[in-house]
Amino acid sequence: MRTLATTMRAELVGAGGVVERNFYLTKRYIWWDLAWFFWTVANTLTIVFIAQGIELTGGQIDVNSVATSLLIGAVVWAYLGVLFEFLMETVAWERWEGTIEYTFMAPLSRAMHLAGQGVFAISYGLLRAVFLFTVCALFFDLSMPDANFLAAFIVLAVASISFIGIGVMTSVLPLISPEKGTQLGFVAQGTLLVVSGVYYPVEVLPGWMQAIAKISPATYALEGAREAIMDGAPLAEMWDEIWPLLIIGAVSIPLGLWVFSRGELYAKRHGKLKRSG
Amino acid sequence: MRGRPVGPDPVVWVDRLEKVFDVPERDEGLRAATKSLVRRKTREVRAVDGISFEIAPGEIVGFLGPNGAGKTTTLKMLSGLLYVSGGEARVLGHVPSRRERAFLRRISLVMGNRNQLQWDLPALDSFELNRSIYQIPRADFLALRDELIELLEVGDLVRKPVRQLSLGERMKVEIVGSLLHRPQVLFLDEPTIGLDVTMQKRIREFIAAYRRRHDATVMLTSHYMADVEALCERVIVIHHGKILFDGDLAALADTVAAWKTIAVVLQNGAGDLSSYGEVIHRDGDLVTLRVAKAETARVTARLLAEQEVLDLNVEDPPIEDVIELVFAQQATQ
Repeated sequence: MRTLATTMRAELVGAGGVVERNFYLTKRYIWWDLAWFFWTVANTLTIVFIAQGIELTGGQIDVNSVATSLLIGAVVWAYLGVLFEFLMETVAWERWEGTIEYTFMAPLSRAMHLAGQGVFAISYGLLRAVFLFTVCALFFDLSMPDANFLAAFIVLAVASISFIGIGVMTSVLPLISPEKGTQLGFVAQGTLLVVSGVYYPVEVLPGWMQAIAKISPATYALEGAREAIMDGAPLAEMWDEIWPLLIIGAVSIPLGLWVFSRGELYAKRHGKLKRSG
Repeated sequence: MRGRPVGPDPVVWVDRLEKVFDVPERDEGLRAATKSLVRRKTREVRAVDGISFEIAPGEIVGFLGPNGAGKTTTLKMLSGLLYVSGGEARVLGHVPSRRERAFLRRISLVMGNRNQLQWDLPALDSFELNRSIYQIPRADFLALRDELIELLEVGDLVRKPVRQLSLGERMKVEIVGSLLHRPQVLFLDEPTIGLDVTMQKRIREFIAAYRRRHDATVMLTSHYMADVEALCERVIVIHHGKILFDGDLAALADTVAAWKTIAVVLQNGAGDLSSYGEVIHRDGDLVTLRVAKAETARVTARLLAEQEVLDLNVEDPPIEDVIELVFAQQATQ
């Protein structure tokens, strides 16, 4: 029992080290992060202004509702982008930096290594999402009198578990294919973007795409966030979104770790665990 | 070749170790490029081909061979970074590929052309990550970190982003990072590559001091024979994945190069000395002869008796020449 506790403590301290390193790196690239944040704000504004543009050209829409819905979609998608990027870079960035052999030689379980990446990604991503939402909302006279931001935040946090699981699965791609892995990760990310109803209701999609939407955690995260912010739904009324997220999370995390372990095994058998260049 | 036995508890034990890679290859041209999209051709490369050896605790062994001989592949298998294709390897009693914590915390692999330190961070920040991952108590960490920093004189360097350091400076801070957890086994892959001679000497002295102080076992690959001569009593020579020699460095010269060189400066200029041995170099009055080891004493006596000798030196052949000869002999077999 004591050995188990010691091992767990060692693992958690190691994962803490990974979080700490990511903090140092983010601090190091803070100006780049600010520039990227500016770009994300511009991109989000471009999308939200579409609602006002439709009205101006004669379209009959509830501008406040559509603009808020688009804003939620853009912010949630930006958050997902951060999670995917951090996890995909677990391998790709280390390969580029030339540190990959050392990271994979360190006495830290892969689960805790990836957990360290995931925890930092969630913390950084959520903080960034709050800033993004606040800054963009200031540009529009949006009315959100019933908004339940705490419930939206919790739904997003629950959804993050599933995103981490899927992110871990995609992060293995650069490990098994140094040349094409990262690009394949973007294919997975792009698929989620199309099917999850980021900027439109899932119902507009063809049937087969709606079927994929059912297993995308982003679908439920977006529905939950919109219900909480636009309709003021309390957490208790969002069970329909939360239980699929919990199930997808419960499946995707162990599945992601298993896929990663198989990828690592493959890389070690075929000599793929080496730096780029 | 089994290699020499080193005792009941070797730190490194390797038995008929193999690593085979499938390397993709294609012919040149558009047609071949298009064809390779559908049907990929691969070639089997035996990077390590059934090698066996043992290394005793505290031993420092030179692992020599030309590029592509299988040195780095072997070190990676011993560090658990590569799975073996055949045979067995144990380091400190552990199978490296199992990644057991007790194993990983007691070894370190330093690769001269790789880095464990983040390029854009000061080395001190990367050391902190190692402290967390290797579970080093803070007091021990600070004491050893500062000791290593002092020994390698890198106090001013560890606060700068690694990318601002020269190659030699970077190598020194990389070594600090690799030793913070006091590894018992060091795999050093070209630790002095690209460094100037002063820096090479400093790194060599440091490795020797670390080994003495911590009774560490060291396996070293280097293309600089000065590293090998200064640090290793034993060498393992590998070529095309096979071990060609495993034994004392001195014995390598005795076994492979059964000659010595006699450098002689004569009072009356350099005449024809071919009757004494093979003239391999001539520079003014200085003549270098190659003679069979068994003949060295007799030839030296003859030179002193028959010539007006101003200076005479008898030397073993340079280790570079010996190693080259090993490879040449293998190529002709």
